[in-house]
Amino acid sequence: MMRRHVSSSNSFRAGGSHWFLGVFLASMMLPAAGWAQSTLAFRGGTVITVTGSPIEGGVVLVRDGKIIAVGKDVSIPADAAIVETGGKFVMPGLVDAMTHFGIRPFGLNSQEQVTPENRAVEAYYPFGGFFKGKGGVEADNELLYGGVTTVYIAPGSTQLIGGQGAVVKTFGASYHGLILRDPASIDMALPPRPPREGTPPGRMAALALLRKTMIDAQEYDRRVREYNQKSDDDKKDAEKPPRDMANEALQRLLHRELPARVEADFVEDISAAMRLAEEFGFNLIVDSGIAAYQLKEVLAQKKIPVVVGKISHPFAPEYFTYPQELHSVADERNAAWLTRAGVKVAIASYASSFGGKATQGRWLLLEAALATAYGMSEEDALKAVTINAAEILGVDGRVGSLEPGKDADLIILDGPPLGLKTWVERVYIDGTLAYQRGGRN
Amino acid sequence: MRTAAVWIIIFPALVLSVPAGVQAPSGMGAVALKGATIHTAAGPPISGGVILVQDGRIRSVGQSIAIPGGAKVIDLAGKVIIPGMIDPHTHIGAFDADDVNEMPQPLGPENRAVDAIHLGVPDWQEAVAGGVTAVITGPGSGERMGGQSVMLKTFGGDLKRRILKEDGDLKMAVNARNLSHISDIYGNFVKAREYLSQWRQYQGGDRTGSPPKKDLALEALSRALRQEVPVRVHIYLVPDMLSFLEMKREFGFELQFIHSVESYKIAGQLAQNGVDCICLPLGTRYHETPDQLRGIAVLHNAGVRVALHTDHPVIHQKWQRLNAAMAIRYGLPEEAALRAVTINPAQMGGVADRIGSIEAGKDADLVVLDGPWFEPRSKVDMVFVDGVLAFDRTRAASQEGR
Repeated sequence: MMRRHVSSSNSFRAGGSHWFLGVFLASMMLPAAGWAQSTLAFRGGTVITVTGSPIEGGVVLVRDGKIIAVGKDVSIPADAAIVETGGKFVMPGLVDAMTHFGIRPFGLNSQEQVTPENRAVEAYYPFGGFFKGKGGVEADNELLYGGVTTVYIAPGSTQLIGGQGAVVKTFGASYHGLILRDPASIDMALPPRPPREGTPPGRMAALALLRKTMIDAQEYDRRVREYNQKSDDDKKDAEKPPRDMANEALQRLLHRELPARVEADFVEDISAAMRLAEEFGFNLIVDSGIAAYQLKEVLAQKKIPVVVGKISHPFAPEYFTYPQELHSVADERNAAWLTRAGVKVAIASYASSFGGKATQGRWLLLEAALATAYGMSEEDALKAVTINAAEILGVDGRVGSLEPGKDADLIILDGPPLGLKTWVERVYIDGTLAYQRGGRN
Repeated sequence: MRTAAVWIIIFPALVLSVPAGVQAPSGMGAVALKGATIHTAAGPPISGGVILVQDGRIRSVGQSIAIPGGAKVIDLAGKVIIPGMIDPHTHIGAFDADDVNEMPQPLGPENRAVDAIHLGVPDWQEAVAGGVTAVITGPGSGERMGGQSVMLKTFGGDLKRRILKEDGDLKMAVNARNLSHISDIYGNFVKAREYLSQWRQYQGGDRTGSPPKKDLALEALSRALRQEVPVRVHIYLVPDMLSFLEMKREFGFELQFIHSVESYKIAGQLAQNGVDCICLPLGTRYHETPDQLRGIAVLHNAGVRVALHTDHPVIHQKWQRLNAAMAIRYGLPEEAALRAVTINPAQMGGVADRIGSIEAGKDADLVVLDGPWFEPRSKVDMVFVDGVLAFDRTRAASQEGR
């Protein structure tokens, strides 16, 4: 019985130019149907599924890019290539529930306060340096280096309604292959900030504007529905409502097909977002949420998840530009307090690329480690950067844990996930080796 | 020089800022911290050791210390103790009052951080909770010469007593290769050298004429020329570093680099010239690449004295320990990383006789942790400053669920 062993020498590394060359070649050579058509068995390591107990000496069996079995006594088919993971830790690729990766800072925001029709993917270009040297590829490689395999890419947060965010993978056979879910949600922010120039409205006027916007959307939704309900004959006489991209996007909120993600730190802003969600009947996710712990019971009761920023640097924007009054409200125990109260919490980097924060995605596991120093259990901290994030993004059917049926996005670590000296050794996405530690990393 | 009375008048709120229940340091009974693994930053770790503290000072430290009867014994078996951490370049207390930069004034060597220090912000107590017990806080990098930093403890009721060094350095900044930056600084050192020689002439003569007019700016530069304070310069690039090396050779001042982004590229030269490097491994704002992060270990291996800094508010003051963690992750040996946040910055500040290591006679500034001191998941349990319990996690935990 012959088994093909994957050795580190014949697999390509995700460093420098090899990376996009690899993607490029792969996109040309692989059959259109799939891109990792083989059977892989990760054998011997400690498998942290994050949805169940860790399995010592476990096996993760992967076929054609999907996990088909996880456990201690998984029988490995004869044609499987074996990846020995003895002494290592195997866990799902990390999910960063809030970033602006791959979007240039000047592409993040529009001039107006309300642009639900804008889509982050339209500005998404992770390979800024394609065929031109390093450039943007570094940013993505940076994420793989930190074990991040899925990220949410969001419009900027200087508008009341910024637009539609998407969920993308950090490695794929093609540009389109990266996109996991688009749109994934509609991004908003409170309190109002100036998009580019001029004075923003105050809180009262901002909320009035949001209400007016939602009422317009309800009205649009009613007119479209009424038109659609007409018989074909009646339609001939009736005027068809003209298509409106902004209202179409908001319709999906009203139909609860998409949630609203509202970046709100102050109690009054989180409360205002909750009022809006209730009045107009849409699902709400609170982003950043520095003061969210002060509303933890009501957030838990209403099942509103919170995507907190980094434990070490909770302020989504720069510390400098942040309202001073929030500094004394911020508390590293926010995530732990929320979790204990029953709120679903994800820890996210809020990083952007091509700007000063491009490298921060790589610290996600260390931030999870830090969360345990501030009251979170290891289990909860790991969930906050994997399955919780995936659930909040609505992609938990595909990623976020090691379970049969999910994408084979997994990382191999040379030590316990929350240890300072632990490194991501390998990253597999859709069952394909996307990154291997070595050389200059 | 200002008197204690002046400080008390200026900052009456300070006395109130001490948490209730904290005892006065002097006249305090002896306290024995017993059973922990002690990283002294002065020698190999001591496991199951004892630190005897009295009157705010460390009386003795070791594995077999006789604990005097009547001493309060705190059992710290399983815990880890390190010296209170020190940050050699930060803007805590200066930033919040918006006094950190005096732009567009390009040269202000006479400006003193101690005149602008602001203690009424929560950052100080957070710094203590993070295990940071002393800082060199000073002018920003908006000017070529920002002024003079002040070194002080992060905790204690009375500012006068908190100050370790009032005018502790001459802070400069060169942000990139700029024609005027170096020549401005060079020109002023030339002037200061003349000023100094005028004074020497006057003081060495019969003192019959009138003395040279006192110039605060040149006075500050003269102190660097006399090697009473170091020149501490915010600097990124190798060419700027080489210019400063040249000036150091000509004027003979002590030189310390801040940020030191590219310093690893000329590590040997810096070691040879006795230049200290202060680095910011958490400074993702500056696009730290793995190479730059590994550079801290390169500097250390070349024999450069290395310290780490937060540059608060760039990185919050409380994360100095995370800075050390990051440096360790990128190759700096654990012991060297500990020294980089304790004894080395104490030496750079000229106060190593008082703080920076756990040795008999030094201030009892101590940090107790519940696990390896550098692991992000370890917690700071207690912090002592001058022998006073300045932070206690069990008490802080009482705020849970607020």
